Amino acid sequence: MQSSVRQQSLGGRRRRGPRAPRNGGLGRAIRYLGRQRRTAALAYGALVVATIAQLAVPQLVQNMIDAVQQGAIANLIFGQVPAPLQAAAAQRAGTTIDQLRLNQANAESLLINAALIIVAFAVLRGLFSFIQAFMAEKTSQGLAFDLRNEIFAKVQRLSFSYYDRNQTGQLMIRATDDVERVRLFIAQGLVLAAQAFLLLIAALIILFLTNWQLTLWILPLLPIAVVLFMVFGAISQPLFGEIQRRLSALNTILQENLAGIKVVKAFTREPYEVQRFDTAATSLMEQQLKVSRTFSFLFPLIFLIAQIGQAVVLYFGGRQIVGGTLDLGEYQKFSLYLIYVFFPLGQLGFIISLMAQAGASAGRIFEILDVKSEITDKSDAIVLPPIQGQVEFRDVSFRYFSSGEPVIQDVSFVAEPGQTVALLGATGSGKSTIINLIPRFYDASTGAVLIDGLDVRDVTLDSLRSQIGIVLQETNLFSGTIRDNIAFGRSDATDEQVIAAAKAAEVHDFVVSFPQGYDTPVGERGTTLSGGQKQRIAIARALLLDPHLLILDDSTSSVDLMTEARIQKALDNLMHGRTSFVIAQRISTVVNADLILVLDRGQIAARGTHEELIEQSSIYAEIYHSQLVGDVEVEMTEAAPV
Amino acid sequence: MMGGLGGPRQLLEAETSKPKNLSTTLARFGHYFGNYWVLAVLALLLIAGGTYTQVTAPELIGQAVDCYLFPQPSSCWYTTANISATVDARIAGLASLVGILVGLFIAGALLSGLAFYTMSWAGQKVLRRMREDLFDQIHRLSLGYYAENEVGNVMSRITSDTDTIQQALGFALLNVISGALLIVWIIIKMLQANLPFALLSLSVVPVMALATFYFSGQARKAFRKSRQQMGNVNAGLQESIAGAREVQAFNREDQSIEQFRLTNAANRDANIRAASFTTALNPVLEALGYVAIAIVVVVGGLSLLRNQPLLGTATISLGLVFTFLQYVQRFNQPIQQIAVLWTNVQSAIAGGERIFALLDIVSDVQDKPGATEMPPIQGEVTFVDVGAGYKQNQPVLHGISFSAEPGQTIAIVGPTGAGKTTIINLIPRFYDVTSGAVLIDGIDVRDVTAASLRRQIGLVLQDSFLFSDTVMSNIRYGRLDATDDEVIAAAKLASANTFIERLPQGYQTILGERGGGLSQGQRQLISIARAALANPRILILDEATSSVDTRTERLIQKAFDQLLEGRTSFVIAHRLSTIRNADQVFMLKDGVIVERGTHNELLALRGAYYDLYMSQFRREETEADEVPHNGVPAGALAGALRPGSV
Repeated sequence: MQSSVRQQSLGGRRRRGPRAPRNGGLGRAIRYLGRQRRTAALAYGALVVATIAQLAVPQLVQNMIDAVQQGAIANLIFGQVPAPLQAAAAQRAGTTIDQLRLNQANAESLLINAALIIVAFAVLRGLFSFIQAFMAEKTSQGLAFDLRNEIFAKVQRLSFSYYDRNQTGQLMIRATDDVERVRLFIAQGLVLAAQAFLLLIAALIILFLTNWQLTLWILPLLPIAVVLFMVFGAISQPLFGEIQRRLSALNTILQENLAGIKVVKAFTREPYEVQRFDTAATSLMEQQLKVSRTFSFLFPLIFLIAQIGQAVVLYFGGRQIVGGTLDLGEYQKFSLYLIYVFFPLGQLGFIISLMAQAGASAGRIFEILDVKSEITDKSDAIVLPPIQGQVEFRDVSFRYFSSGEPVIQDVSFVAEPGQTVALLGATGSGKSTIINLIPRFYDASTGAVLIDGLDVRDVTLDSLRSQIGIVLQETNLFSGTIRDNIAFGRSDATDEQVIAAAKAAEVHDFVVSFPQGYDTPVGERGTTLSGGQKQRIAIARALLLDPHLLILDDSTSSVDLMTEARIQKALDNLMHGRTSFVIAQRISTVVNADLILVLDRGQIAARGTHEELIEQSSIYAEIYHSQLVGDVEVEMTEAAPV
Repeated sequence: MMGGLGGPRQLLEAETSKPKNLSTTLARFGHYFGNYWVLAVLALLLIAGGTYTQVTAPELIGQAVDCYLFPQPSSCWYTTANISATVDARIAGLASLVGILVGLFIAGALLSGLAFYTMSWAGQKVLRRMREDLFDQIHRLSLGYYAENEVGNVMSRITSDTDTIQQALGFALLNVISGALLIVWIIIKMLQANLPFALLSLSVVPVMALATFYFSGQARKAFRKSRQQMGNVNAGLQESIAGAREVQAFNREDQSIEQFRLTNAANRDANIRAASFTTALNPVLEALGYVAIAIVVVVGGLSLLRNQPLLGTATISLGLVFTFLQYVQRFNQPIQQIAVLWTNVQSAIAGGERIFALLDIVSDVQDKPGATEMPPIQGEVTFVDVGAGYKQNQPVLHGISFSAEPGQTIAIVGPTGAGKTTIINLIPRFYDVTSGAVLIDGIDVRDVTAASLRRQIGLVLQDSFLFSDTVMSNIRYGRLDATDDEVIAAAKLASANTFIERLPQGYQTILGERGGGLSQGQRQLISIARAALANPRILILDEATSSVDTRTERLIQKAFDQLLEGRTSFVIAHRLSTIRNADQVFMLKDGVIVERGTHNELLALRGAYYDLYMSQFRREETEADEVPHNGVPAGALAGALRPGSV
């Protein structure tokens, strides 16, 4: 009950885009069971034994009751009926005096034997249903483990264009919620389904064999129960979805009022906000009550059907008993098996909803796993020899989809070893795409990117990327110490090397001011450090690789001017003597660059040095004035003439 | 992730928690339910009725056996029947009894349905009331509370606590109450029917209860661990997906995958361990249930066969054996449910405790009893020897005294942490001073109602907060009764009209979370329009530090100038032009006004302001020179403005 409620609320909480899940995902997920062959086999083996034990119990109870009843009849006849009439009474009870005596003598031992067998079966049943449930859980955990590892490995190796198109949150959900949903189905749903079918069919067969007339009486109730469950499933899903929608509307108001508390207070809008919230709270309550109404009608109704089944059996079974064609033990057995029929029916409703959710989830999981990694080593890829630093773009175009608009088009240039290339252009002009093509985060759609004359697609990714230092615009640090983060690209670096890189990147001074120095843990996503500090650590991280080729997306919009000056100094240190590609925002970087590429809508609109361009290119002049930020030359101003 | 040094994130630390002060918390809940006591009492009566039908059904089945199927008139109280009754009479009797049974079942279904509905009705009303109280409290709390408690934490506290209460108020509470009632009732019935027989039959119940509480206790412990592990898995995923570009750039894929594998395996193992307890509970209870059946039949059967009453009580009839059989089969479910759901109820009570604790916080900024309305403000603002701080013994401001005349613009400058924001927070009384006083038109802000004060003060914050609503509503937030034309006029004043009209749906465009979809500069223009619409007498501005493009920058500047016109204004200034135009500039350092005067006066002092100017504002001068439109050759103006040449 609890798990089904939680299930439904989870189901409602998740609202996704309209992406249609693919079919057959669930089948593929089930095939992963192959890796858990041993535990899965144990689970299903135990299931069969446990179900047989369960099915035996009513029969055993009947044996006990029969023994008691026959003994009781014998007692009654011998005890209350006058001796001459005993034979007649026995005949009326459908037996003989001799049989009665035998019954009376054997009743107690029969009863006790039957009881002992029940206890034995109870132990058997308990043991095997534990094995079944535990092994099913273990199997499903193993399966979730495999799926998560595969998703993670896949995600780690996807090309950048995949991340451009997908949000972190979406990918997270697939590895957590979706895997959990598939796991739930395989742990519970699949086993429950097997158990339910086994139980339902075996119980129905036993019912027919025991007393087919009686079975026919309750048969019409079964389809009613099935229909009710389906109705229930169909009605409750959208209701829960609506609850989630209203709850999130309510939470949005709450969130906004907390985040914007100052604005609310400043404009004294408390009464207005309170009214807004009350409306949302009332609307949520109404929906909750709607669900309650549905539940308070449907749940008892479903329960009632099973109870009516028992009443039907009592009446028609009772008629048979009175008529002498059924005895009490058999009646009791029948009513127990009847529970075994209704119980699995209830489970099937639950299983169907699990299956629907798991199917959609499996589709989403395999959607990731099936993404072809566009960027992989060629089979005959060679190891890139130590880079000299010449980078050539030869008629390079790139588009995300084969049919899409080109992001860059026919870009050609050559950067000689040691040169600094500055890229300029509006947002979306293709600057980032160009720098991402060099370490092969994307592959060119046409044309080629060559490093020292070698096509980047002909060398191994490892040998290529390990020689390129990159500072990305958005700095991600990883949980671990500051040292771990600086040594991110070279875990074998010595302390001296780490400190040297830190000093060059202007990191050392603030690191040693922390109580734990280089062992200071960096919080989740580096939150304990300021933007400028994070960025400098990222620079140290790149510096430690001592790369011959450097790529900088040096946005410093989030840092104050003093920090900006320090970062600039660190970057200047870093660029010295290396071929560097810089998405430039600072005048000094651009002015000092050996080659400036001005990009406009994916094409190189102008190229040259600052002096050349300021004369010739109007686009350059415009960008220069509107986008570039003047440098704070602290040393210079401090020494400024007074 | 790296080296696992980040440690477990306490994502779900409070999943299952126990209330510390049960009775007070329950009393508070009782108080809430008190408003709906009719519903609550009704729900309890309905539950009792439903339980009655559940207890009675086995008795009727027993009667069917004793009266008609296997007549034993001695134990047949339902009707008189005898062993020699005709078959037809017995069937007719049986039919009427089954009829009663069906009626009882239907009544039971109705009662339990109604009980559930009434219960959730009362529960939902209580929950709504609690939510509304919480929401009120959010607004009542002073900003000091939010300085100490992160908004995200307050938010998740409120949502998760109300969520646990929500979950417990429906099924869980109903099932726990009716389950407990059913168990107690059945036990009483059995004891009444035949004490020794009942005691023997019930002998497994304590074992069941023990097993249940042992296994569910262990499982809860194990699940706590597995939740932590799941938190690690999530954190690892989050980090690696968000940082995937870096991982690839630095060739860290293999290490990263291996690390995840370890976290993932730890999660799997923790889950399997928890599963060993959860999966054991059901089989154990089921097996014990079968043992109970065996005991009932053996004890009852032997007594019947030997015609020996147990310990001198009434003889056991076959019907009684049947009734007992039905009873013992009804134990399993409620015991299990109570074990599982009790946790929910417990967490809900603990959640309630935290909610009540939040509701009990007394805001340190409150209207005095007898506070008057602030009369229309002229605009004189005076700080008299003001000290202030957010935490005890950590003063942020010391001995701040100044006076701003109506219509003046005051620029506040200084390094981060100097206390600039604290000063402006004191004017609309977001905080109270710890010493001294803040006077507006000679009236202490603590002597008037906060609402009447704040209504006359406008605020434009650095991080412009917008609501996820239309642009129109966001501007109208400044004055709810403003007409569309007034809103547009305010937008024009704030130079926001042009870009708003270019939005897909103009003023009806719905802004995303935190104003997403607009640039920071545009968001600030909207918040300027909002303040303009409110037409406040005193204006407080916190200029944005982050760079916006030059065009927007100029628009904002123009909008600010328009807005400042004729109002007393306090500006946390980041732009040189603002400072230059200010009537007074306060240079703040470590909570003290170290220098005051006009821009030129302060530069001449060559003190702290001069240093700040050199490191921060000089660049603007240069930039301004290079903007071609002003037509002055680069360098010339800079030279002219260079402090040395002033």
